[in-house]
Amino acid sequence: MFKSLLVVLSGVMILGASCTKKVDLKDRTLHVNVSAKVKGFDPVNAGDTYSSGEIARVYEGLLTYHYLKRPYTLIPNLAEDMPTVSNNGMTYTFKIKKGVKFQDNKCFPNGKGRELKAKDFVYSIKRMADAKNVSEGWWLLDKKIKGLNAWRTKYKTEKTNYDEVVEGVKALDDYTIQFTLSQPYPQFLYSLAMVYTFAVPKEAVDFYGKDFLNNPVGTGPFVTKPYTQGTRIEYTKSPSYRDVFYPTEGSAEDKANGLLADAGKKLPLVDKIVVSIITESQPAWLNFEKGKLDLNGIPKDNFESVVTPDKGVTDKYAKKGIDLVITPDLDITYIAFNHEDPLFKSNLKLRQAMSLAYDGDTANKLFYNNQGIIAQTLLPPGIGGYDPNYKNPYRQFSVEKAKKLLAEAGYKNGKGLPTIMYDTTATTVARQMGEYFKKQMAQIGINIQLNTNTWPQLTKKVKTKQTQIFGMAWLGDYPDAENFLQLTYGPNMAPGPNGGNYNNKEFNKGFAIATKMQPGPERAAKYKELAQKSAEDVSLLLGVHRTSFVVKHSWLKNYKFSTFNHGHSKYYSLDLKKKAEMINKL
Amino acid sequence: MSGNLNYIIRRLLYLIPVLLGVCGLVFLLFNVVAGDPTMLLLGKHADAQQMADLKAQLGLDKSLIAQYFDIVKSAFTFDFGRSWATKQQITEMLYQGAIPSLTLTIPGFFISTVMSLMIAIFVAYYRGKGIDLFIRTLAIALMSTSSLVYILVFQKYLAFELGLFEISGYEYGFPSFIPYIALPVVIWVVMSIGPDVRFYRTLILDEIYQDYVRTARAKGLSEKKILFKHVLRNALIPVITYTVVNLPFLILGALLLESFFSIPGLGGLTLSAVNASDFPVIKAMAILSAIAYILFTLVSDILYTLVDPRVKLN
Repeated sequence: MFKSLLVVLSGVMILGASCTKKVDLKDRTLHVNVSAKVKGFDPVNAGDTYSSGEIARVYEGLLTYHYLKRPYTLIPNLAEDMPTVSNNGMTYTFKIKKGVKFQDNKCFPNGKGRELKAKDFVYSIKRMADAKNVSEGWWLLDKKIKGLNAWRTKYKTEKTNYDEVVEGVKALDDYTIQFTLSQPYPQFLYSLAMVYTFAVPKEAVDFYGKDFLNNPVGTGPFVTKPYTQGTRIEYTKSPSYRDVFYPTEGSAEDKANGLLADAGKKLPLVDKIVVSIITESQPAWLNFEKGKLDLNGIPKDNFESVVTPDKGVTDKYAKKGIDLVITPDLDITYIAFNHEDPLFKSNLKLRQAMSLAYDGDTANKLFYNNQGIIAQTLLPPGIGGYDPNYKNPYRQFSVEKAKKLLAEAGYKNGKGLPTIMYDTTATTVARQMGEYFKKQMAQIGINIQLNTNTWPQLTKKVKTKQTQIFGMAWLGDYPDAENFLQLTYGPNMAPGPNGGNYNNKEFNKGFAIATKMQPGPERAAKYKELAQKSAEDVSLLLGVHRTSFVVKHSWLKNYKFSTFNHGHSKYYSLDLKKKAEMINKL
Repeated sequence: MSGNLNYIIRRLLYLIPVLLGVCGLVFLLFNVVAGDPTMLLLGKHADAQQMADLKAQLGLDKSLIAQYFDIVKSAFTFDFGRSWATKQQITEMLYQGAIPSLTLTIPGFFISTVMSLMIAIFVAYYRGKGIDLFIRTLAIALMSTSSLVYILVFQKYLAFELGLFEISGYEYGFPSFIPYIALPVVIWVVMSIGPDVRFYRTLILDEIYQDYVRTARAKGLSEKKILFKHVLRNALIPVITYTVVNLPFLILGALLLESFFSIPGLGGLTLSAVNASDFPVIKAMAILSAIAYILFTLVSDILYTLVDPRVKLN
């Protein structure tokens, strides 16, 4: 009896073991993972980081970010050059590159991809504006392009006419596209580097209909088969990809890190990409350690075994040739007060007391492995308006000062202050953060009640102004202070991104002026002033700017972290000799 | 025969009120408990106008009765439309998810059921002896351990350290999927075997103490013959009930295993749908589960008649 049982189990094990795949050492195949399901390949629905990252391997836009330069710098991609901007800053004219081909696909006559024309961008922008497509990116162009809102409203319910001319987005000829804005909008160029505005061919949308999202047809460096919702996506080098070369400019640090070794080489530098969708951190980490993934983030539980206190790699991993890439991310974590709640609305001292009572350093150690940068204002480092020397007086932990301010607010030792409801999500870390906040506030006599929610429930509460305070994080959409300061801009109140419903007339006025100014020192000074004013008014209880920790194997070359990783895998290269040598040490 | 047919038709007709009830329940839960899907679908920059437009587009501005009838219609036509979150065709999503789920759950369930039955017969044969006590203790230990422990430990040691299995992933098509489901199947078996052995052992022992067994012994039949020819056959009825009623849950997948082994099954699909307030997918899963449950219960009733001729469907 037991014999037969053992035979069955052994059979399963032998079957599994005999088919276990070996690490690929022959092909220049990049192995990466994403930690969430990819919805599909329609640029107008690239609302999540994971889907947009995959879309950008196939599709391209007019502009992109320079791979190596920091602060992030826009450069032409499908545009021939940066645009000509009219004196009043309202008209942007682009020449697009000639000879760029869409990938071969059966949606085209004879299956041969045709040349990209200016009209493709006009079509793609209109697709994004089409209310029927429910694009999460519409906010980028909403009320910004002349005539586009009227066109959108007109075809909200009736059949959309893409041939109808919209004044603000026109193809002047096959290779010239002109945008006319309806209001000054210097951030406009960033939207042209975002996946939402990438060029799609009308033939593909018409041919595949609703299944266009599974049949990507772009101009980018990689092609993929029709997408099925599995846990693996494979890309191969596009044979029709134009001549694009690895950047030749970079900083001294980039040079020292070997990031200019392939300068001037034709892209892409890998033949194939295999993307595994691995939602749990353990299997992703184990696959990385085994050499089945070329790079990975570091799970919280593995952090201390990988990273030394001085931010190096521990001996165990250094011997395996594993490198660490540390880069500050363009984001912020915060706890928002609902400023429409009478308790917080006109009680600056209460907000200041709460901010002072919150020990950010300990929170940083507990939740971010002490690698976050304590936020002094909303603006993260690397953004115009960020001041590294500024210390927010209400972000310096002091229980004494907090108690004093609380008393001045009329709640000595918390007396008379009702229990405050803190809403968060039900994940372990979010709950732990809530417990920590509760403990911090208890030091000055403030009672906090934790309320955990599913993500949809929390979103609903925030958007309908039903919270008192809640924990949140914001990842920048583009490297402009406007994208962060808008979190406290009055007209953006819930259901907009200002979930805390902060509404300060002076701030709103300053924001409206600054965000319409052209980039430069004057605008940066204005942003700085606004950020500090908002910080001292404790519009939000600021947390940290997080830091990205990525580990990679020594055979992966040219990796540089970017918050805006749109199609960067074309720059990566693989040293297969090194891989063959190192794989046995793993 | 006509009695059997009547019974089957009657049971199938039960599907109608059950489906109407399921539709009502799903509708109620969606409208009372779930978050507003438009907030999630439009992303962090959504404004009130966009949310109102999307509500109209999704049909959420219709009267509650009209919305309920839309659900009922999809339940009876099997036209579930497209996912709100991914915009994929739901039937295609279900098909793509059902294959990986079934390639994992069917072998897991089959092997664990057969093994548990064999062990249960073995311990029942040696009831009260040392080996019985040992296996019962082991079964309790196995079922007392969290499934997450098995997953994390087996994945780390059997797949990563010893390299006996793939760490994670899935490939469609036979035999490509085998290396990927081998370890999850082993874990499924280990997780199921504890409670199953105890359950089947109890069923067999219940039979062993029946009068007809004593009669058989009095007639001089060997213990083995009694066990395999008489006891096992009679114990099969509750075994069939337990097994067949569990079959619909196999279609629903194994959430934790799918998640940790990156198997794109229906468990993960359902969880993603719940997290995203993706009502059409939740609705489709609830309706199909209800139908599967009723159909498999009917199958178990029919199987009774094959195992035990005394059972009549009418």
